[in-house]
Amino acid sequence: MNFTHTWLPFIYLYGLGGILFVFGIIITIKSGSFDLSRKAHKKWMWVLLFGFVWYLMMHVLMTWAALDIISAYTVPIVLLGMVVVFIIVMLKLRKIR
Amino acid sequence: MVVYFIAIMLFGSYFGRYTKNTSDFFFGGRRFSWWLITMSIVATGVGSHSFVKYSAKGFEHGISSSMTYLNDWFFIPFFMFGWLPIIVYSKIRSIPEYFEKRFSPSARFLATILLLLYMIGYIGIGFLTLGKAVIPMLPEAFTVFGMTLPITLMGAIIVIAVITGVYITFGGQTAVIFTDLLQGFILLFAGFLLFFFGITYLGGFDMFWNLLPTEWKLPLADFNQPANFNFVGIFWQDAIAGSIGFLFMNQGLIMRFMACKNVNEGRKAAAVNILFVLPISAIVVGNAGWIGKAISVVSPDIISPSVSPDQIFVVVANIIASPGMFGFIMAALTAALMSTVDTLINATAAIFINDVYRPIQRFFKRNVMSDIERDRKELLAARYASIGVTALGVLAVLAFKNFPTVYEAHGYFHSTLTPPLVVGIFLGVFWKRFTPAAVITTFVGGVALMILGARYPGILIAPFDHGIEMNPDHPYSYIRALYNILVCSGAAVIVTLTTQWQRKLITAIREKQNQKMIMNMMVAITVMVFAVVLFNVSVLSVQVLATIAVLILVPLTVTYYVKYDENINTNGLTASSIDVARNLFKGGNPNDQEGEKVFVNLKQVDGDDTVIHFSTKDMAMMKAAVGDLVYISDKRKWMGGLKSIHSVFGAPHDEDGTVYITPDQIKHGLFVEGKILEAEKEM
Repeated sequence: MNFTHTWLPFIYLYGLGGILFVFGIIITIKSGSFDLSRKAHKKWMWVLLFGFVWYLMMHVLMTWAALDIISAYTVPIVLLGMVVVFIIVMLKLRKIR
Repeated sequence: MVVYFIAIMLFGSYFGRYTKNTSDFFFGGRRFSWWLITMSIVATGVGSHSFVKYSAKGFEHGISSSMTYLNDWFFIPFFMFGWLPIIVYSKIRSIPEYFEKRFSPSARFLATILLLLYMIGYIGIGFLTLGKAVIPMLPEAFTVFGMTLPITLMGAIIVIAVITGVYITFGGQTAVIFTDLLQGFILLFAGFLLFFFGITYLGGFDMFWNLLPTEWKLPLADFNQPANFNFVGIFWQDAIAGSIGFLFMNQGLIMRFMACKNVNEGRKAAAVNILFVLPISAIVVGNAGWIGKAISVVSPDIISPSVSPDQIFVVVANIIASPGMFGFIMAALTAALMSTVDTLINATAAIFINDVYRPIQRFFKRNVMSDIERDRKELLAARYASIGVTALGVLAVLAFKNFPTVYEAHGYFHSTLTPPLVVGIFLGVFWKRFTPAAVITTFVGGVALMILGARYPGILIAPFDHGIEMNPDHPYSYIRALYNILVCSGAAVIVTLTTQWQRKLITAIREKQNQKMIMNMMVAITVMVFAVVLFNVSVLSVQVLATIAVLILVPLTVTYYVKYDENINTNGLTASSIDVARNLFKGGNPNDQEGEKVFVNLKQVDGDDTVIHFSTKDMAMMKAAVGDLVYISDKRKWMGGLKSIHSVFGAPHDEDGTVYITPDQIKHGLFVEGKILEAEKEM
């Protein structure tokens, strides 16, 4: 498969998108609206980072599955595993409130 | 389908009983839980990126049709910790109102025009999609009382518009939220049902997967080809302009978040929606196209590869579902589209009331009536506005009828209309130095540059095309978003950075005796040069010079006429002053101590309707003080906050487990005596 159809869009999406995402976190922290000294906002930082990795993994796995590097069934299994991890961490963060 | 339409109309209209004033009509009383808002957003989001167009792209290009659903996370920090708290705490009712508070009334006026164009255009696209979806299922004509009436695209759209208009007009935002909640569940179920039928029809998932060519399985499109579906163009049109547009300027979505009981619930609704519901929705809306492609590979006699992409959803559903299920799936399809349209109609009516009706009333000084009387009149006007907006939406269909597919019509529309407002909102929130002169130049000069780009794409947009081939019939449908964002941002940044020069020049003009004449001439020249661009007078070089003149004259004119104090106008309206916004929202310092929720019985008492009274012990559990804000709701979680009110803690009493509440508060919160209530301190 052509690189322009497999990994170039992926690199562009998470390269440029990643810069915007990190810039968003930095600018909201610097402005004081995202205050990591507050427990509730610390939880949101976890959600934000999870979200970025969640989508990145989704695209990596789907591309690997399309290229027959992994089985198509691996994609939902790994993603469900990530959801379980997300829920467990959220519950733990709730308890330490 | 007829039964379904009538049921939805009655279901939505039922919620008219929860609409007592304009706040209820537009914001549902700011009382709902995150899960209810999340599910109602599903129906709106899925409808707007409809079954029809994503199935079409799924059929043409495979699983990469899902990419527009999976690229919204990058701007979420800006939304959660910038825009969302600002719109909630500043108590604005519409996006143009933000522009007046942050900049000036003239900025609000221009934002209103742009936003109304955007919303009505969006409604038009929604109606067009609806019409295209139902027409293949209807006969060519029907007979009533011996008269044969032909069924046309516009005829079908008008009938659907009337049905949608009825429940919006009577039900308002609460009706929209609850009908969308119901329709959200229905359409997710229907989408997965169709996928299941499709996989079964093909003989299992392995068969389906192996039938698709490799390029059809990839999650992202080819980088820069073909012209009508490429990754980089759609990245700029959707992931950048579309995502900011979706989160920051879609008044319908904004109103949903404002209907949440507090900012944190809004954050939860946004996060769950984007993280989990959008990927599910991507499968729901695109799978008919993927199944259609697989069937066309194995049985081209059943589905020809040349079938019209916009009809593939109906064609596939008809083949793989039994007649009864086909009716249900088609009802779900129309439900999804209605959900988008109803949200947009309600939101556009909100903009009309807030940014057209009220300013006109103020201008003619018709405010000499009681609050109750004014609210009654505004509610009536809001209902008439819903009818008017529905009619304009139907007319807007005419502007998009001739695009080859709904997807391209939507892409072109989005990349053209969103950039000026997106840049205005974004820099307004995150850049304190951004001035009224800069925002108005973004709206006027940015639009002039965008018009030039649309007129001369081969010269102006081509340098940014990333190698995408230009289709002469619809040049750069998607990547034009990059050009439009760059020119609008460029105008905004340059004007902001040259603010001191503008002020010096205007100070010099103010010192002249004939200052008014100079400024009148400047305004006249600005209008003339803008007209040169707008009406395509003369050659490109002259139009470029005219645009440069607009970019110089507009900021000077605004600097002269608009009174602006950076400290006052940005207070509580930028990300760096959210603490101020919280103070203003509460009317004092917020009490950030984290308390517990308490469960109480209500006791009806006569008294002040602006406060409610808890026992000293209950207030201590909530870590609340007199004057803090309180949210009290029916304990039953599944009601999602439908029965609830916001109020203020009054002086405490000694009856633990009981809240003293007035008859008016009981009526507004729809509380029932004997039912336990749950109370929590806000902020």
